[in-house]
Amino acid sequence: MLELARVDTFRGPAQILRAVSLAVNDGEAVCLVGRNGAGKTTTIDSIMGLLPVRAGTVAFRGRDITRLPAHERALLGIGYAPEDAGIFPDLTVEENFQITSWLARPGEAAAPAADADARIFSLFPEVKSFLGRRGLHLSGGQKKMVAISRAMTLGPSVLLLDEPFEGLAPVVVTRLIEAVKAIKALGVSVLIAESNLVNATRVADRLYAIDRGEIIFHGRPQDVFANEDVMKTVRG
Amino acid sequence: MDVLVIHLVNALLYASVLFLIAGGLSLIYGVMRIVNMAHGNLYAFGAYVTAWAIGSVAGGAPTVLLLVLLPVGALAAAVLGAVLEPTLLRPFYRRAEEYQLLVTFGLLMILEDLLRFIWGPYPLSASEVFENFGSLTIGDSLYPTYNFLVIGVGIVAAIFLWGVIYKTRFGVVLRATSQNMRMASALGVNVNRVYIQAFTLGCFMAGLGGAIIVPGQSAVLGMGIDAVVLAFIVVVVGGLGSLEGALVGALIVGVVREAGITWFPEIELAVLYLIAAIVLLVRPAGLFGRP
Repeated sequence: MLELARVDTFRGPAQILRAVSLAVNDGEAVCLVGRNGAGKTTTIDSIMGLLPVRAGTVAFRGRDITRLPAHERALLGIGYAPEDAGIFPDLTVEENFQITSWLARPGEAAAPAADADARIFSLFPEVKSFLGRRGLHLSGGQKKMVAISRAMTLGPSVLLLDEPFEGLAPVVVTRLIEAVKAIKALGVSVLIAESNLVNATRVADRLYAIDRGEIIFHGRPQDVFANEDVMKTVRG
Repeated sequence: MDVLVIHLVNALLYASVLFLIAGGLSLIYGVMRIVNMAHGNLYAFGAYVTAWAIGSVAGGAPTVLLLVLLPVGALAAAVLGAVLEPTLLRPFYRRAEEYQLLVTFGLLMILEDLLRFIWGPYPLSASEVFENFGSLTIGDSLYPTYNFLVIGVGIVAAIFLWGVIYKTRFGVVLRATSQNMRMASALGVNVNRVYIQAFTLGCFMAGLGGAIIVPGQSAVLGMGIDAVVLAFIVVVVGGLGSLEGALVGALIVGVVREAGITWFPEIELAVLYLIAAIVLLVRPAGLFGRP
């Protein structure tokens, strides 16, 4: 589905990713865990095309997309919800959804977002109650819900979630974890960048651990707890 | 009373043209975060093209034909904008703001020379349209009817632009791109296409300003530089990047300028700069701008 092979990425003059290789298979939830600054967001940005990859390749469904611009990757089926949720602050929630609805179905007339895809609203039915609110006035949890639903509106094959649980109350985290499981059940693969190992193990089929831009562990969630070196590095 | 009405109409006339220029400038900044110094000469380009088109076919041509030719300048400015954005501006988006200012200022100078090269140093007139419209009586005074057309175009342009930005798909995508270009692109929006559309629309507005004002005052070299200075005062007062700000700023500058010309002509521009300075001190982002 999604494969990174020896990817090097720089931010300005600083090399952040060093020969990062990882894969996300069909219908799988994979977590990329690591401390702040380890390279998780840079990995997600490199996959999404928001940062240029200096060396290595990014492949999606067997196609090399390393040089493809971000918007083409999105339309190919890579959904993205960033760490800050990326909600357009002056647009209403409905308008936030309309953008992806229109891009997913360019030929169709404007339809109310609530009717655009009932399947997506089934993830977070409460979103319907604040469709008219501007992005600026949403709580942290609401922003995350809108960001995930909005990414799903494009009908992605793989969903990239950058720190989806960060800064949220435990009850909201549980809510989002259930949503991720529901997304997986829809056949959509998920790659989550997460600094909290416990949250990661609640949702992941497989884990990658990253530190200083290098993948230092790859395996099942239960195996990571047995690896003291990785535990020490990831927990800091 | 009649004099006051005439002053008010004159203020609206200024405001209409200023809104077209400053609205385009603000739209371009709002979406692309580029302060387009060349904007004034896109306004001048619109004026020259319309004056040239009308001047070429004038001489007894029916007013309707001349009116049809009026927007030619706006279309020409839009086409020029659609060529300039991807070729000269796009390579500088990732550079520091100084580079963008330098490039657009250079473009202002290049366009000035281009106007001189194509149409020579002498003014171009399209006064036939202005004359064909005749005058109407306000109290005891005669007032050019054409000026009401200019005000009407300004009002229609403001409503049209508001509709485009707040009531259309393109407007939603435009606002999304202006708020978070990176996120818009990650959601599938072709940002380069949005930029070229926004720049073209902004240039169309500037060109329309030039096209509708030229029958009343001729196209002359330097008109773009004068216009861009006033447009910057408008956007400083109203808030760069805000359409509402451009409208209110244009009205304020239009009224103050008309009052200045009438009652304190020696310090007319100084008063405008003073207002801009006060707004900058009290509300640095402008009346409707976001800090």
